[in-house]
Amino acid sequence: DHKKYKFRTMRQNLLDASDVLDEQIEIFSKIIQKHFNLSPSQFSDPTIQSQSEIYAVGRVVPDSPNAEGRLNTESLALETSRVMGIGRRVRLDLKKVEELSMFSGQIVALKGKNANGEYFLVDEILPLPYPDAPVSTEEEISESQESLEAESMKVIITSGPYFAEDSINTDLLLDFVNRLNNDIKPHVLIMFGPFIDVTNPLIAKGSIPSFPNLKIQPKTLDEIFIKVITPILRTINPLIQVILIPCTRDAISKHASYPQDSFDRKYLQLPKNFKCFSNPSTFQLNEAFFGCSNIDIFKDLVETTKGGLTFSRDRFDRISEHILQQRRYYPLFPGKTREILASKEKKIYKHIAGADLEIPYLGLTEFVGNVAPDVMIFPSELPCFARVVQNVVIINPGRFIKHKGGRGTFAQLSIAKPDLNDGRLTKVDNDEPVYLHNVWKRARIDLST
Amino acid sequence: NSIDSLQPLETTISDMERFAEVALLELSCPNCNIEFPFGGIIASNYYQMCYNGLQCKKCEHMFTPLQISSQLESCIRSHISLYYAGWLTCDDSTCGNATRQISVFGKRCLNDGCTGVMRYRYSDKQLYNQLLYFGSLFDREKNKNQELKPLYLTGDSDFPKDSLKESSIRALSEQNRELLEVNQGVVQKYLSDCGRRYVDMGSIFDFMV
Repeated sequence: DHKKYKFRTMRQNLLDASDVLDEQIEIFSKIIQKHFNLSPSQFSDPTIQSQSEIYAVGRVVPDSPNAEGRLNTESLALETSRVMGIGRRVRLDLKKVEELSMFSGQIVALKGKNANGEYFLVDEILPLPYPDAPVSTEEEISESQESLEAESMKVIITSGPYFAEDSINTDLLLDFVNRLNNDIKPHVLIMFGPFIDVTNPLIAKGSIPSFPNLKIQPKTLDEIFIKVITPILRTINPLIQVILIPCTRDAISKHASYPQDSFDRKYLQLPKNFKCFSNPSTFQLNEAFFGCSNIDIFKDLVETTKGGLTFSRDRFDRISEHILQQRRYYPLFPGKTREILASKEKKIYKHIAGADLEIPYLGLTEFVGNVAPDVMIFPSELPCFARVVQNVVIINPGRFIKHKGGRGTFAQLSIAKPDLNDGRLTKVDNDEPVYLHNVWKRARIDLST
Repeated sequence: NSIDSLQPLETTISDMERFAEVALLELSCPNCNIEFPFGGIIASNYYQMCYNGLQCKKCEHMFTPLQISSQLESCIRSHISLYYAGWLTCDDSTCGNATRQISVFGKRCLNDGCTGVMRYRYSDKQLYNQLLYFGSLFDREKNKNQELKPLYLTGDSDFPKDSLKESSIRALSEQNRELLEVNQGVVQKYLSDCGRRYVDMGSIFDFMV
């Protein structure tokens, strides 16, 4: 529901924020009880001493509120909900656990004992169940089959910035639109911000040169978009459906927090084949469910790990699994911040950007309907990648342009037409038969420059 | 968010008090990189308002409107982002805990046994006042009537050597009308989304539903 993102910003209430943080623990308590078939009486307060082994659900937090930097296995604590442990926090003793990957803000279920009142000695970490995959009925499948004339649906994904840090040059964007219209010809183009990044040094320092091709120079950043970028975007073939997803660093969005409201298409003077979606957003293209979140979780989420098996796995796989298990697009808390050194002599740091979480509205960043999308897109500063994790296609298209203006990357996703007869859809017996989409079996992803 | 004891009505306090603790708008010259605080159409050793815009006194570079508004907007956004970093402090002076952790009981201090109350260090009221301050710098009437917060105190090392005449301030405010309006527009863009400006009738009257 896109209207829910239209809240006013810059007025967070601490009590509303803590309500949401408490609720997250409670929601998972129920999921875990149901999944492992445990009764509520088997759960109790891990912050107080007890003789017997118990189950506990809580949030992973540092053991000191002033902890800075990387956490290690000796410096973790568990925060309980209001109901379970009056919100108290207890240090975790993890020496008996051999494999683990934890991060600040993660909701975990633990089995263990608090023998002396000071530590909760963990015996076992209960893995959180993965959310269900979306399904479609026979009728819905044939509908998407018919809507596709081609053999497969082609989706192109790009992520900003679209300008370098030393010049406002649109050559690459022009070239890209040309390729879209003449060679690639996708059904859908998903473009992530930032389109005009308020932290771009040219913009932050105000050293934007004039635009020689324009008769009337833009006076504001919004006008740069409307006068420079809109005309280029308008040349995209109107048969291509374009989806724009903002970033909290986008100058053209006045909503500078996450979850973030969509751009205003009319204000940006974009034609009707453009759709502006919120950040994050979940939507359907034919039968496939897409989950998009424009905040750099793959860069921000720093785990505390232990064990050779955990360590030898790909970091992107581990983080993807965390996102799926936590059922939220940005499970890290507190969100990351970015500072720059403002004065070398005095060691003063200046805040420039961050995750900018609007905590009372974090509910809007949870998976819609508790279902994991078929395809999840998380633009990141890290090099582009595409992986299948727990049968979900995870994509980072990479930056469209490099810092110094070099050609960056974009992702091309083709999903073969769903076919009830080729055996690639899994039938789930229900009252009415439904089918898993198995997009991961039908998709091909190319990361191009 | 709560009513901080007994205070005069927000609307009755003067700009002087309201803007007592705001951060200044620092501009940097795109040509010579010198940084200086911008305080509206006032006297300064670093810049001067001319009939056709803002000029750097060091290198005589004339700022284009975009070179001012982009810095203003970038500065506003860094303030909003700092607000959303969500730093909390404990009001017990013997504790002084500063953290971005939030207890599931929001106002409870996370230091063992501390009974202090946690608050946002950058409050929404502060952010709102900061935006109002940026707005005032580009307010034509306030510039004309010389109601802006002064940048310097007498005795400051960079206290302006020259002063501006009232008549020239009036004339400059009119001449730079468009420049002021463009930047006003940038500030208004964010003020229009600022929750503090609006009374949430829903939450006041939800007991009636």
